[in-house]
Amino acid sequence: MPAAIPDDYCFLTIAELNRKWRDKEFSAQELAKAWCDRLEKFGPRYNALALPAREQAIKKAKRADDELKRGRLHGPLQGIPFGAKDLLATDGEPTTWGARPFAGQVFDFDATALKKLEKAGAILIGKLSMVELAGGGGYRFPAASLQGPGLNPWDRTRWSGGSSSGSGAAVAAGLAAFALGSETWGSIMNPSAYCGVTGLRPTYGLVSRHGAMALSWTMDKIGALCRSAEDCGIVLQAIAGSDDADPGSAGKSFYYTPQYTRKISDLKIGYSPVDFNETVESGMRADFLAALEVFRAMGAKLVETKLPAMPYGATASTIIAAEAASIFEPIIQDGRVNQLADQKQIAGLKAGLEIAAKDYLKAMRIRRLVQEAMGKVFVDVDVLLSPSAFKVAPKISEPLDNPSPVPGSGINRPDSIGKGLRDLGAAGNLAGLPALSLPCGFAGGMPIGLSLVSRPFNENLILALGVEFQKRTDWHRRHPKL
Amino acid sequence: MKPSISRRQLGAALAAVLPAAAQAQQAQQAPTSGESDKAMEQLRNNSKALGEYKLPMSTEPAFTFKP
Repeated sequence: MPAAIPDDYCFLTIAELNRKWRDKEFSAQELAKAWCDRLEKFGPRYNALALPAREQAIKKAKRADDELKRGRLHGPLQGIPFGAKDLLATDGEPTTWGARPFAGQVFDFDATALKKLEKAGAILIGKLSMVELAGGGGYRFPAASLQGPGLNPWDRTRWSGGSSSGSGAAVAAGLAAFALGSETWGSIMNPSAYCGVTGLRPTYGLVSRHGAMALSWTMDKIGALCRSAEDCGIVLQAIAGSDDADPGSAGKSFYYTPQYTRKISDLKIGYSPVDFNETVESGMRADFLAALEVFRAMGAKLVETKLPAMPYGATASTIIAAEAASIFEPIIQDGRVNQLADQKQIAGLKAGLEIAAKDYLKAMRIRRLVQEAMGKVFVDVDVLLSPSAFKVAPKISEPLDNPSPVPGSGINRPDSIGKGLRDLGAAGNLAGLPALSLPCGFAGGMPIGLSLVSRPFNENLILALGVEFQKRTDWHRRHPKL
Repeated sequence: MKPSISRRQLGAALAAVLPAAAQAQQAQQAPTSGESDKAMEQLRNNSKALGEYKLPMSTEPAFTFKP
């Protein structure tokens, strides 16, 4: 960053940055230039940058400065530089979906979520890398991306997670104040945990997917990876809302009002001790158990719970594979699918065309029961709490489908029925539930994260818990040395 | 210094060139039969898991999916 903007400012929250800009400590143009420099310098180091957007960013920043001069303030996102996963369309720019067959793809419109952020005054400084086609066919290696393997800013020999790999790395390394990502099954929660950032997966239908690559029409969600729970709320308020252009739109808005949720002392948080005592790697246990104590100290009642026994993994896998194969049928049929980087992904997409109608329909029927079952779980508890990932970020050379599964990531898709809440990733995505991943410690120098999951459209409740947790801890304030 | 071509032109040029360049690699990158077999085995395993789960006949699919 230039002398005018200290390096540590790139780890400030949205509200902190916006306040300094309004106090004229720096201009939006200075901020955008500094952040573009940083993204372009360090982005390639983590294979996080797909496309810089410097020219447009400076123009938008000038507009923000002009508005400040005239006293036209739009809210906390005005003048804030951000990045977006390269599955969101930007008018006149390449949008690659992280995949070679789409390397030259150009749309003539902006994705709805990006338009909404622009309206709120946020400044897009670059498109961020992702696993090719969001990994819908399954993938064996982190290198399954047009930009190469997403490298973790905490340790470049390790993966930044997927499929929103660049979004996780960019926020962790302070290359953007926040980033948009997407989740079909684990693609926000997983990089958030691996990179030590706060990630919000909104309720299905709350954020328009118009202009986003479709992987699974009935499971795709757009969300944000940020520095804090408060930042996630601010961004969600800007990007949520009804959109006729998205057939899955729930027709609802979102107002970030954590102060009006129920008192934390009235809340019951469901968790499974097995997750924390047995399933996670031994080096992660101490910090996870300490995080549970923080929730207890907040006054919430922690109660043991479990998910009903259902084939969550097989159900989610079948739905995603069938919908993805239908979406990408043109490139499967004409052979362009063979240009993808990962052999498993190619084979998985091709195999998806062979899924029988009876299996897809059975999966969708089971999904109806999953929704009902999760509804019943939330009669007894208000929120579910579980590790966002049960292992730290793997080495980039390590196959992702080795015998140690990464629950919730959609990577290995274990179909364990039973133990603890390890299937919460699949169950939550099948039922379209919101989830928040909070950094809650380190194991072997790598960040770990905890997920809060609640009823549909109950984002304010999990955000309120996240804000309180982050008042009492500083894990979200820690950042890697670049 | 101003770029001599616009980003839109760059995108169009890439769209024209990359598929042709990649076509040459296609034969080498098609998945091995072992990989295809594994993918099909995964589908069969999923199908079996779904088949073993008993549902009431009245259960309708989650169309249109609403949380």
